[in-house]
Amino acid sequence: MVDAIALPVPRVARTGPLNRRRRHAGLLFVAPVFVFLCVVIVFPLGHAFWTSLHRVRGLSSTFVGFDNYARVLGDEAFWHSLGTSVVFTSSCVALHMVLGLGLALILHQLTFARTALRILFLTPWMVAPAVGATIWLWLLEPQFGVVNYLLRAAGAIDGPVAWLGEPGTALASVIAVDVWRGIPFVMLLMLAGLKTIPAEQYEAAAMDGANAWQRFRFVTWPNLRYLVVVASTLDIINTIRHYDIIGVMTQGGPAGGTEVLPVLLYNTAFRANRFGDAAAIGVALLVLVLAFAILYVRLTRPDRPETAA
Amino acid sequence: MHRRSLILSLIAAALAGATGPAAHAQKQPIVLQWQTANLTESQYEPVWKRTIAEFEAANPGVRIEPVLVARKDHWTKFVAAAQARKAPCIVSVDLATAAYNGYLLPLDKFFNAEPIEFRRAWNEGILSAAKWDKKLYGLPIWGGTYAEIYNRDLVVKAGLDPEKPPRTFDEYKAWAKKLTGKDQWATAVLGGKTDTTTRVLLTWIWGNGGEAFNADMTEATFAKNPKSLQAIKYYLAFAKEGLAAPSPTTTNYLEQTNLFAQGKIATMRNAYWAVPKVVGDNPAMKGNIFVAPNPVNVPNAPTLSTMTASSISHSCAHPEAAWKFIKFDADRKWAIERAKVANWMPLRNDLANDPDVKADPMLAQFIKIGTNARSYPLPSPVWADIAANDIVDAVQKALLAPEKTDDIFRELDVRLTKKLRDI
Repeated sequence: MVDAIALPVPRVARTGPLNRRRRHAGLLFVAPVFVFLCVVIVFPLGHAFWTSLHRVRGLSSTFVGFDNYARVLGDEAFWHSLGTSVVFTSSCVALHMVLGLGLALILHQLTFARTALRILFLTPWMVAPAVGATIWLWLLEPQFGVVNYLLRAAGAIDGPVAWLGEPGTALASVIAVDVWRGIPFVMLLMLAGLKTIPAEQYEAAAMDGANAWQRFRFVTWPNLRYLVVVASTLDIINTIRHYDIIGVMTQGGPAGGTEVLPVLLYNTAFRANRFGDAAAIGVALLVLVLAFAILYVRLTRPDRPETAA
Repeated sequence: MHRRSLILSLIAAALAGATGPAAHAQKQPIVLQWQTANLTESQYEPVWKRTIAEFEAANPGVRIEPVLVARKDHWTKFVAAAQARKAPCIVSVDLATAAYNGYLLPLDKFFNAEPIEFRRAWNEGILSAAKWDKKLYGLPIWGGTYAEIYNRDLVVKAGLDPEKPPRTFDEYKAWAKKLTGKDQWATAVLGGKTDTTTRVLLTWIWGNGGEAFNADMTEATFAKNPKSLQAIKYYLAFAKEGLAAPSPTTTNYLEQTNLFAQGKIATMRNAYWAVPKVVGDNPAMKGNIFVAPNPVNVPNAPTLSTMTASSISHSCAHPEAAWKFIKFDADRKWAIERAKVANWMPLRNDLANDPDVKADPMLAQFIKIGTNARSYPLPSPVWADIAANDIVDAVQKALLAPEKTDDIFRELDVRLTKKLRDI
């Protein structure tokens, strides 16, 4: 299937009245989608950029040029938030990949209860993020939460631990919840990838006397490497703009310890009523996401040599 | 003949189509959305449901649609809707901030058209707290005075006398030490991310004779005023010394009242409305609660009284109908109901000596304490932001690094002063 994408496309003559009519008809078919994308993507983006150039006071606004960008980039809170975003995103993506791949390998090997386990592991992904975050909020509650209760019963802790009460444990907690929620997506991708690896390669490796680690190292990994890169890029794009889990669990606190860029954006816009600054943060976040999106597009280009490999 | 009847039918159908919507629209009642942070609170639910039912019965052309929003999302949902020019008609929000941003409609036209008896029901002090830039933006509906609420059983069990509650900071700390035990704390220090954290902090600052801002709200003095800083350190030290429940940075009204209801903390600084919340969570607490003025270090130090007003949003299409409902809701009957059922203090000065109010000793006590109180929110258009964000962040940082409290509040002063002057 991948090979089919890479096949050379025959050149089509682009001149002549018939082709022109065809092209016009094609444009006509594309037009509704183009208009739709303009309405739902281009206009909001344009409006956000326009807002970022204004000082917004409630329902009125004044043009201030790039002042909002200067203020945001000069604010320590933005850089702190960017740093938190990097830590949050890299930790989450790394754990998604390692654990997702691990689970996929286990599920792929299983000969029984595979479907039931697959559904079970998918459950966190099916739960709405805000709902999952609310459940975890109560599980981690210091006085009455189940996590502390179990840890105390097991003798692992003496007193209640305020999981969301200190920046370090709060960040670790939201990362854990995001990992709980994000693993299934990676696991599914990896399972699909594992299914495409020809059984002959494993048979040949077995005949050469390869052990389990060597089979993974020299057969599974080279076949999955490209998929891992694509999945990581997609996961970075998805995680870096993540709001809901942190928004529900900590609102960026305590003391800004979990304030990733989307949460900073939300707090600036809707809590601090500084829509111009918030729009500037949004544009900065967009640039960041766009960089990874471009990387993703380049990686998945049909003419990449790897795709034909 | 057949063709003629067909044409007539078409004309009749066209006429029906043209007049139908108009006739339909005439029958449609005016729908007014109503959003306050309190509609989701169970103790208030029976009151607001009856208020709506009776208002709609008396005004068949108007329907009230309550908008239920969790307290922590109340302001953000309102701002999002106001920005989209779709804000609910009747709202209770941070008045100065909302008015400054153009989200509210001035009410002077409606208020001044009312008879003098109605207008005199509120004293000038209360009304001025509902004004911004000399215009009235809300009708004061109810309030809450902050006082110290105690669990009588725990106080007695600790060998303390409920008849002689602490009156100074040091007396309070001495009580706190006796009220703290294994898995049991004297109180809760509030550091959660809502402005309740700021409210309680202000009561400590004012109780020590300090000021958080200068008189015209152009400068923050949390660290600049030595008495303010001293009070902040004294209060936050309860957490460090193990006299307050763990995890103060995530403790808020909800967590505080939960802890109190479960007997995990023996005292809490809160308003009258916390009492039914606690009794609702744990009915065994009924009759086991007493209230006293906040311990203070200077004579006549004021406490804090919130003022909640009903306003009309700028985007309301039916302000006259909205005013009608606000007036209805401000009536004596509902003010007394709110006080008796939801424990919200009436703000009408003609109700202070009402027999129904006097019949409730705890309410009478809160009203007495409230005679020496400052109005909250403070009059600044950036108050909603600084009260729920900057000040809370500083409290959280100081709770996490108590040794840096001076620097943290010095930085807060600089940050807030810049914001206050940048309006």
